[in-house]
Amino acid sequence: MNRILSLLLALGPSLWAADPVESDFYKITTFQTPKETALEVGSIDLMPDGKLALGTRRGEIWIVSGAGSSDPSAVSYKLFASGLHEVLGIAYNPKDKNIYATTRHEVTRLKDVDGDGRADVFDNVNDSWGVSGDYHEYALGSNFDKNGDLWVTLCLTGSFSSSVPFRGWALRIKPDGKMVPTCSGIRSPGGVGFDADGEVYYCDNQGPWHGSCTLQHLVPGSFQGHPGGNIWYDLAPNMGPKPIDPIPEAFQGERGRKDARPGGDPGRMVKERERIKQLLPPAVYLVHGKIGNSASAIICDLSGGKFGPFAKQLFVADQSHSNLSRVFLETINGIKQGVVFPFRGGFTSGLIGGRMDEEGRVFVGGSDRGWGARGGKPYCFEKCEWTGKTPFEVHEMRAKPDGFELTFTQPVDPATAGDVKSYSMREFTYAYREQYGGDEIDEILPKITAAKVAEDGKSVRLTITPLTKGHIHELHLDGVRNAEKLPLLHKVGYYTLNEIPGE
Amino acid sequence: MIRLLFALLFAATSLRAADPAVLTLKTMTAQMKYDSSELLVLPGQPVKILFENGDDLPHNLVFCQPGTDTTAMAMKQMENAEAALKRNWLPDDKRIWAHSKMLNPHEKETLAFTAPEKPGTYPYVCTFPGHALTMRGELKVAPLGDTLHDLHFALYLGNWSKLPDFSKLKPHREGKVEDNLIQVKLDDYKNEFGVVFTGKLTAPKKGSYRFFISSDDGSRLLIDGKEVVAYDGIHPAGDIKEKGVQLEQGEHEFRLEYFQGGGNIELYAAWKGSDFQITPLSKWLHPNWKGGAKKQKEFDPIPLAATNEPVIYRNFIQGTGNRAIAVGYPGGINLAWSAESMNLALVWRGAFIDAARHWNSRGGGHEKPLGYDVLQPTGEVTPAFFVNEKPDAQWPKWDKTKRYDGFEWKGYTLDAKRSPTFRYTWQGAEIEESFTTEGNGNKADAGAKLIRTVKVVGKLPENGWYRIGTGTFEAKDGSFVLKSSQAYRITAAGAQIAGQNLVIPAKPGTMTITYQWAQ
Repeated sequence: MNRILSLLLALGPSLWAADPVESDFYKITTFQTPKETALEVGSIDLMPDGKLALGTRRGEIWIVSGAGSSDPSAVSYKLFASGLHEVLGIAYNPKDKNIYATTRHEVTRLKDVDGDGRADVFDNVNDSWGVSGDYHEYALGSNFDKNGDLWVTLCLTGSFSSSVPFRGWALRIKPDGKMVPTCSGIRSPGGVGFDADGEVYYCDNQGPWHGSCTLQHLVPGSFQGHPGGNIWYDLAPNMGPKPIDPIPEAFQGERGRKDARPGGDPGRMVKERERIKQLLPPAVYLVHGKIGNSASAIICDLSGGKFGPFAKQLFVADQSHSNLSRVFLETINGIKQGVVFPFRGGFTSGLIGGRMDEEGRVFVGGSDRGWGARGGKPYCFEKCEWTGKTPFEVHEMRAKPDGFELTFTQPVDPATAGDVKSYSMREFTYAYREQYGGDEIDEILPKITAAKVAEDGKSVRLTITPLTKGHIHELHLDGVRNAEKLPLLHKVGYYTLNEIPGE
Repeated sequence: MIRLLFALLFAATSLRAADPAVLTLKTMTAQMKYDSSELLVLPGQPVKILFENGDDLPHNLVFCQPGTDTTAMAMKQMENAEAALKRNWLPDDKRIWAHSKMLNPHEKETLAFTAPEKPGTYPYVCTFPGHALTMRGELKVAPLGDTLHDLHFALYLGNWSKLPDFSKLKPHREGKVEDNLIQVKLDDYKNEFGVVFTGKLTAPKKGSYRFFISSDDGSRLLIDGKEVVAYDGIHPAGDIKEKGVQLEQGEHEFRLEYFQGGGNIELYAAWKGSDFQITPLSKWLHPNWKGGAKKQKEFDPIPLAATNEPVIYRNFIQGTGNRAIAVGYPGGINLAWSAESMNLALVWRGAFIDAARHWNSRGGGHEKPLGYDVLQPTGEVTPAFFVNEKPDAQWPKWDKTKRYDGFEWKGYTLDAKRSPTFRYTWQGAEIEESFTTEGNGNKADAGAKLIRTVKVVGKLPENGWYRIGTGTFEAKDGSFVLKSSQAYRITAAGAQIAGQNLVIPAKPGTMTITYQWAQ
């Protein structure tokens, strides 16, 4: 008996305690919301004195106090404005102390002139894009960027085409209200946000020309992949010549949009990049059905460690999966690329808006309306905070000429982390095609030939044959343990290898 | 929905109308509506309605003849409110053919009557003052259609992911379906089989008919050998597929093909004609099958209302384009302004707007005013200001792909009463438009009016006009009365009739325009 007991003890704590779960490390607090409304949060920004501004799908703006408190009942709400056409972007301007709302057809500046806590002046800052009346023509706006600009991403008219100007574009609204057409190629944006350097990204959704949801880098002048909106280049001389079209392979002869192409789809992003010089591939594929289904807010951790070990990384929300995923980005050959890991699920409704405060509290909210969400509730406003316990996770994953370098949040167990059998990899891509969505195709199962643990025990160098440019490299780390012999909290990551770094 | 199913079940099991329809109708708490906006019965069918008032206000249930304007009927009582009160707010109106008492909060009553013999749509309404605008519904009286006769089945065995060409396969077993209702007997095979049903169906007259199917897994329906509607492939019976078809009078060949891969087995079919309600052809009834088989899912109304200050609603509004700003003022007078044409687009009285279309699901489409007497003083999304030597000229028409030249939308400012002033520029001049209301729009009040004040600062072009009405106007008692079925009156200093236009010369300064219903 004693022998058995000591044997069990020697096998480590994992036999005694259940494996760690997400909620051990990141806690979700669900706030009560005002009874008089359905608080379908569409956008969030920070206000002075720890307050928040929430914009909703029902066109309201609420000022929230006390959401940062450790006591969730300390939260209180004040209705600042109502009657707007869907607030999917909200930005507080510390210079003029006004709130700017991106709505369906207008960026509106809201002023509270009489100081009663309710807006009384609604100025049109810019309304220079078209609305046809189609429900799909969402407008998603950013907070202010480092130049004081607002970014507005405009969904196409439906999934395929653009019936009025700048549907399918990203626009910048300058501080003087002028509009600058900035990127083409957008399909169905879910959110706009910034990285730690102030670079701008948006999430696009699975559909035509998008095999999966994606995180895309909004480089001014770039074409983001969906040609439906490119008919408006005439109105945007600053953008230079119109990109040549991706191969129009989806519609041929009598075939409908939903019909498969006999013989498969030949288009690949990696090939079309060579032909279409403005085409910028997605920085990260948020792999469909695995990471999410409906990517939305982009939240950067600028809290300097108050949200745990992932400083400067990005967190991407998802409406359908009601979760947050974690993205690490790097720049290779001038292009952004990186890896996405699952991070935290269990939010109670579909997430749409999100923002982190200086104290490392992530505020999120949303609704399940129109597309459904795992969370189960029709709408929510919630907070996600680090418990102070560090999860065992892959911290960063960087591309190398012959593999990847992984760093971890905790020292690894050299025996398991140094064993190639602890890892497996699968490479795949999506067809770049007009037909909706698409399968994971062109699968390659590479060999992991070496796994070398660094002396400090915090990083591992994987050598992999082959690496495939343009493919998503799906890495499983099922066998890797930390020094306490515990497994990773999330054992899979998806690295989008737009470029293979040189020696 | 359950009670509709019951009604259908009763109807389905017996085509004679002797079986009673037992229905429950409740009032919703604090929502000013019934919990169902449609009831379905057979002609001459005995009907029992258990009417429950769960609300904190009194409500009744009043059934009227087809075509009755129930809102107008209920409002008419206010002309002699004292007498109406004595009648407990039951209108003295011959078009009422059945009604409940005025139930106090949390009372109930069982209402029994025989459904009218004449098929049709019979509106029902609560006639308590102010309730009729939203608290209403329709009793649909329609017979059932023919059901299948001479129904046979042929069972095939096979593992398919799509419907096979059954004509090339040999049936495993064939037989007659005794009760002539489509059904899959579960004691046969549970997986990997197909069934073809063939029978006859009689169209009572030449005309259009609608067929409905749903299944788990695939199915398709053919009439006279031609496919009408298909729901092929492996899937749950989540959707109802439907399609209309023209049929000659008389007997038609009916064929329903079905296959089962694995998992659940479900198969539903029904049809509907212009003279009969949706009639099941299958033994099972789809859980989402509603009488009348509406294509659009309907949402519970979310009526917005001005309380002690105006309520603003920017969204897609019928007749106002895509940059609409609707304003409901306390007292039941409402307007919709277009930030596309910089013009007043609609004026109406009564209830403001129902946000349910936009605040449910994906929120598509243009919503119409919830109230009544909707005026569209000028064209759809057309500006008021226009330069032309002749004021009787055609004003610009809306080109949905473009914005109007010369106009810039600036925004709006709320005054101390939170009433908006709309701001824009035209040809560089600054324009401000504000509105006040008088009278009560929630009842027939001849004094109910909207007063529009337009301030113009800056230089205006020559030959500029400000159009305040279109149609055939007649000058009368210092006002202009529109000669149409929806008569209303416009009063404005300096206004003149120019053909179909009612215009004011555009000058800097202030214009005051009053819009008033003729009665």
